[in-house]
Amino acid sequence: MRNLVAFLLRYQGVMLFVLLEVASLFLFITNSSYQRAAFFNSANTYAGAVLARRTQVSDYFKLDELNRQLLADNAQLRQQLYPPDFTYREADSLPVGRDTLGHVIYRHLRPDPSVALAGPASPTPGPNPKQPNALARPDTLLLGSAKVAARDAAYPLVPARILNNSLRAVDNYLTLNVGEADGVQPGLGVMSAGGVVGQVKSVSAHYATVFSLLHSKMAVAAKIKRDGTFGSVKWPGDDYSHALLDYIPRQNRLVVGDSVVTSGYNAVFPEGVLVGTVESFVKEADKNFWTVKLRLAVDLAALPTCTWCTTAPAPSATRSKRPSRPPSLPRLSRLK
Amino acid sequence: MSVVGEILRQLLRFGLYAGIQVLLVGQLSLFGLGWCFLYLGFVLFLPLRTPIALQLLLGFALGLAIDISYDTGGLHAAAAVLLAYLRPWVLRLLTPRDGYDAQDTVNVHQMGWQWFLVYLLLLVGVHHAVYFFLELGSFQHPLLTLAKVGVSVVFTSVALLIVQLLFFPVRRGRS
Repeated sequence: MRNLVAFLLRYQGVMLFVLLEVASLFLFITNSSYQRAAFFNSANTYAGAVLARRTQVSDYFKLDELNRQLLADNAQLRQQLYPPDFTYREADSLPVGRDTLGHVIYRHLRPDPSVALAGPASPTPGPNPKQPNALARPDTLLLGSAKVAARDAAYPLVPARILNNSLRAVDNYLTLNVGEADGVQPGLGVMSAGGVVGQVKSVSAHYATVFSLLHSKMAVAAKIKRDGTFGSVKWPGDDYSHALLDYIPRQNRLVVGDSVVTSGYNAVFPEGVLVGTVESFVKEADKNFWTVKLRLAVDLAALPTCTWCTTAPAPSATRSKRPSRPPSLPRLSRLK
Repeated sequence: MSVVGEILRQLLRFGLYAGIQVLLVGQLSLFGLGWCFLYLGFVLFLPLRTPIALQLLLGFALGLAIDISYDTGGLHAAAAVLLAYLRPWVLRLLTPRDGYDAQDTVNVHQMGWQWFLVYLLLLVGVHHAVYFFLELGSFQHPLLTLAKVGVSVVFTSVALLIVQLLFFPVRRGRS
């Protein structure tokens, strides 16, 4: 017995070392799996409170930049609200040729206003039944060039602030200041006004940890907006402003500058949210697919001040008519 | 100094290193590559005669606190435990000709520049190499990762050297 105690004391360093290493490696390896206890990450109440306080302080140093960002946003919104008079002006007719007398023949692109006025004069003045009722139409937010319903009870859009953001690790995470109490659940998509940001990993009462788009295990089901080719966006792990679009067949034609948007097939993001634009593409001899490099739509380095969490609406009738998802496409919800 | 006083002092140091790391230093990056691991100073500057088990436990606790803040699982903890385990070996390797004095601490003024720099660069270098390759989980981008290791070693070492020059007593005997 005394020998055993002496043995344990003699090798206490080595044994404790091995024990602690195994414990920390276990925590590290299981870190990116779903449904982890929310204690060992930044959604933890105490860590979240510390990070929130840090954001409060650092906000003061960024007021200048925030102000400028708000002014730019304001100007853009005002432009949408009050477009110049000639924005929607189009020619109502085009000269298409001359008749035998030499008069120019015009083709009217829209019904001739004089004919339209004289024709079906509406006998009953009042609200047109065909005109959509402003109350029935849900309010929408423009997120990454997709319109997302802002007040849909089934798919709430939760506004959030980013408390913590990393760029340079191999697996990057964000911390948001919303949690279960605000209706955030693991698996929701996170978007900012520019486009896709990430996916919620775990939540506590008031904070949430998010897989950034810059995570080695994150894959976003995407498609090329122009022709609807499906692919999958992955981050190769080096440069935080670029990602790769996988699974685009070699026979497809690509154009630099093509928009790549979410396909809506993995039910994490609504359909049509901007992910990035094609920057370059090469055909590699040993691969069946194009190697497409994307410039990400959201600049994750210039920390977007606010984001929204939501899931995609359930597939509607129009969506189920589309061809089914190719089996090779990785599902995000399977993220381990 | 009494035992309770020493324990309180070390707890305060723990809180200070972890707090400064999370609140201030973690935001900085050098050339967009390097990260400052200032919190390593807590383990590196522990008293020389700290029991090995206590060192390992403290390293683990500190690493885990940083992990929770940065969502890295157990990455910082694994690297910090390795650092705490290697520290006594490096100390033994660098033993002066007539052994360590009772009042010796890890202090650039007392132990000399040469001793201190070798101690710092050796341990910080091993720690950062392990940290960044463990984070990657593979050897996919060796040059980028080596650049990260190199820049981070410079950043962390300079920061810790500044801590030493500012806060550690020049004359031996106290603390």
